[in-house]
Amino acid sequence: MKKNNIEGWLFVSPLLIWISLIIIIPIYIAFELSFFNVKIIGTSGKFIGIDNYFKLIKSTKFINASINSFYWIIGNAICQTFFAFTIALTINYRFPGKKIMANWIILSFIIPTVVVVVIWKLMLSSSSGIVNSLLINLGILDNATGFFSTPNKAFVSLVLINSWRWSPFLALIILSGLNSINREIYDASKVDGANFIQQFIHITIPNLKNVLFVLGLVGTLLSFNIFDIIWLITKGGPSNATTTLPLLIYETAFTKFRISQAATLSIITSFLLLIFSLFFIKFMAPKEND
Amino acid sequence: MNKILLFIISILFSFNALAVTNVTFWHMEGVPHRVDRIQTLIDEFNSANPDINVTQEVQNWGEIYAKAPASVAAGTAPEILVGIPDFTPILAEMGAAQPVEDFVAELDSKYGFYQKALDQYTYNGHTWAVPLWNMALSVWYRKSDFEKAGISPPKTWSDLKKAAKTLTKDGVYGIGLPGNKQLYTDQTIYSFMVNSGAEEIYNSDGTLRFDNPETVAAYDVYKELYQYSAPDAANWTWGEAEACFASKGCAMILQFTVISTYDSQAGGDADDLGVIQIPYANGKAHRAGTVSYVNSAMIMTEDPAKMEASKKFLSYLMEPGNYGRFINMEPGLFLPITEAGSKDSTYWDDPVVVKYKSQVETMLDNSTRGSLFGFTNGNTFTSISSISAQNLLAQTLQLTLIDGKSPSDAVTEGMEIMSEAIE
Repeated sequence: MKKNNIEGWLFVSPLLIWISLIIIIPIYIAFELSFFNVKIIGTSGKFIGIDNYFKLIKSTKFINASINSFYWIIGNAICQTFFAFTIALTINYRFPGKKIMANWIILSFIIPTVVVVVIWKLMLSSSSGIVNSLLINLGILDNATGFFSTPNKAFVSLVLINSWRWSPFLALIILSGLNSINREIYDASKVDGANFIQQFIHITIPNLKNVLFVLGLVGTLLSFNIFDIIWLITKGGPSNATTTLPLLIYETAFTKFRISQAATLSIITSFLLLIFSLFFIKFMAPKEND
Repeated sequence: MNKILLFIISILFSFNALAVTNVTFWHMEGVPHRVDRIQTLIDEFNSANPDINVTQEVQNWGEIYAKAPASVAAGTAPEILVGIPDFTPILAEMGAAQPVEDFVAELDSKYGFYQKALDQYTYNGHTWAVPLWNMALSVWYRKSDFEKAGISPPKTWSDLKKAAKTLTKDGVYGIGLPGNKQLYTDQTIYSFMVNSGAEEIYNSDGTLRFDNPETVAAYDVYKELYQYSAPDAANWTWGEAEACFASKGCAMILQFTVISTYDSQAGGDADDLGVIQIPYANGKAHRAGTVSYVNSAMIMTEDPAKMEASKKFLSYLMEPGNYGRFINMEPGLFLPITEAGSKDSTYWDDPVVVKYKSQVETMLDNSTRGSLFGFTNGNTFTSISSISAQNLLAQTLQLTLIDGKSPSDAVTEGMEIMSEAIE
């Protein structure tokens, strides 16, 4: 082996060891567990081959959670993209108080999730929440409504709360991309008579392709893995309407006490995410000549 | 010479430090004044027992079902863990919770446990935990609301439906009932099941008997009453119900206690605060009862020294003079489970208990008719942990409240889900 190669391996070895410890070993343990029928963590189980895989893929809970996860990703992608672009484009313009606003919006991302949950639960309460009072006073509602009382309302409320939390973070990333676009292109397009929408479609979006690609990939994976907000607000309810795959894995492991089944779900989920990532990179990655 | 002397003293101190037995006490009473009261008792105990060092670590109910088994697997379990009956079988099955029948018998001979308290922890030939205190669900209301409406406090389900309907007006919900898939909802629906004669979930052979007309009747009346509850009750836990009652948004609620919030946030007029037992199904006065939870302490160590130290600490807590102060960490919530404890002056002399004495006496009386699903009439099977941990009583309720199925269909489906859960 060449000296340079040895040095190279030496330099990357700490990272390789770290990755092995925190990713490869846990995946291996989960993979091994998925072939047993261990119930409570720390106890032993019997080898059952691929029974867990057959059982779970056919189960309605897994199918429903997968569908919920799909809608969760789509809902968040639409809302967060809309909110993030609105915020980023607004801040990108020069106006008094721009700096204060840029700092202010990040608050929703900085404050701990538990605080976010407590605030939103209080604001959306039907007996003492400000949102219900406001909607009733504005004449939009006759009576107070329960924002988490039906499957659809709970799902939409959660998507909006999660989007409120994460959109400013995405907005800052988009904003950094916007700042890198040469202003002269916009000025030239103005001279040519382009309006805001034409500028957005033909200048802004193409110049943000690298940022959008990263956001699309990382944002989807992050959205998929959101657990805290859903668990703390609805615990997957009502009637399992907001149970996504991460919640199903947690429930299976720690309330149903089926550790092996939870490990199986984790392996299936990891596989699905891997497939998504490979397809996304293959088909959505910006090409050099774009 | 001085250095040698210092070295010897250090060594001696080290040995002395090694002789101290450490006991970690996990509980879920995270409210600051409860933590303070427990700490006071721990400090007193540690001062009186220099060879033992007890420390408390506060956990929460939301995570403990996951955290405790994980801590056992990781070898970091506490020596003492406070729990409720349906949590004990999991840890007993893992071999973590130690049998304590001899120790409980010793405490029983001194302080006299109420038999119902022991029933919830005695099965498979052992007693698995030391009962600490009881909690029983009651109906809470304001007497003035009923006087204004010209109705009497309800005794039967018909009375309750009438009261809920009458009291629902002008932004006030007649009754606050949860519909969440959570422990609170398990408790409220089970309290109706008890009052219709459906307290047994299991047959004596371990098969389920959940799907029966009495259970359906309980789910049916719950569904009727739910229309008078707040729209966001599908997401409620204990706190939201208490807040609704304190803010006069709910005329009645089912709760273990409201005394603390009522006293601090709702004016604290003790004469106006009413508490009654859960109404029973028409014609079933003999079935009157409620859901009750005996909280307990599991000893989770096999180390003889740590086990002895843990028993010594628990004996200290159960001693009259300490016991009243211990369960009055939240006055008016935790009820005594020993005869000696019921007479402990440190329990009855607390200012809050003095102020709400009649309410506390009613709570105590209600608790004597308490049952808990899966721990009734000796029909206790460890698989109840799976039903309880997944809140399947509440999930069944959601099938009718949220999904719109008939109570009968919901109960049938609920039993199928339970059967799968206990496989």
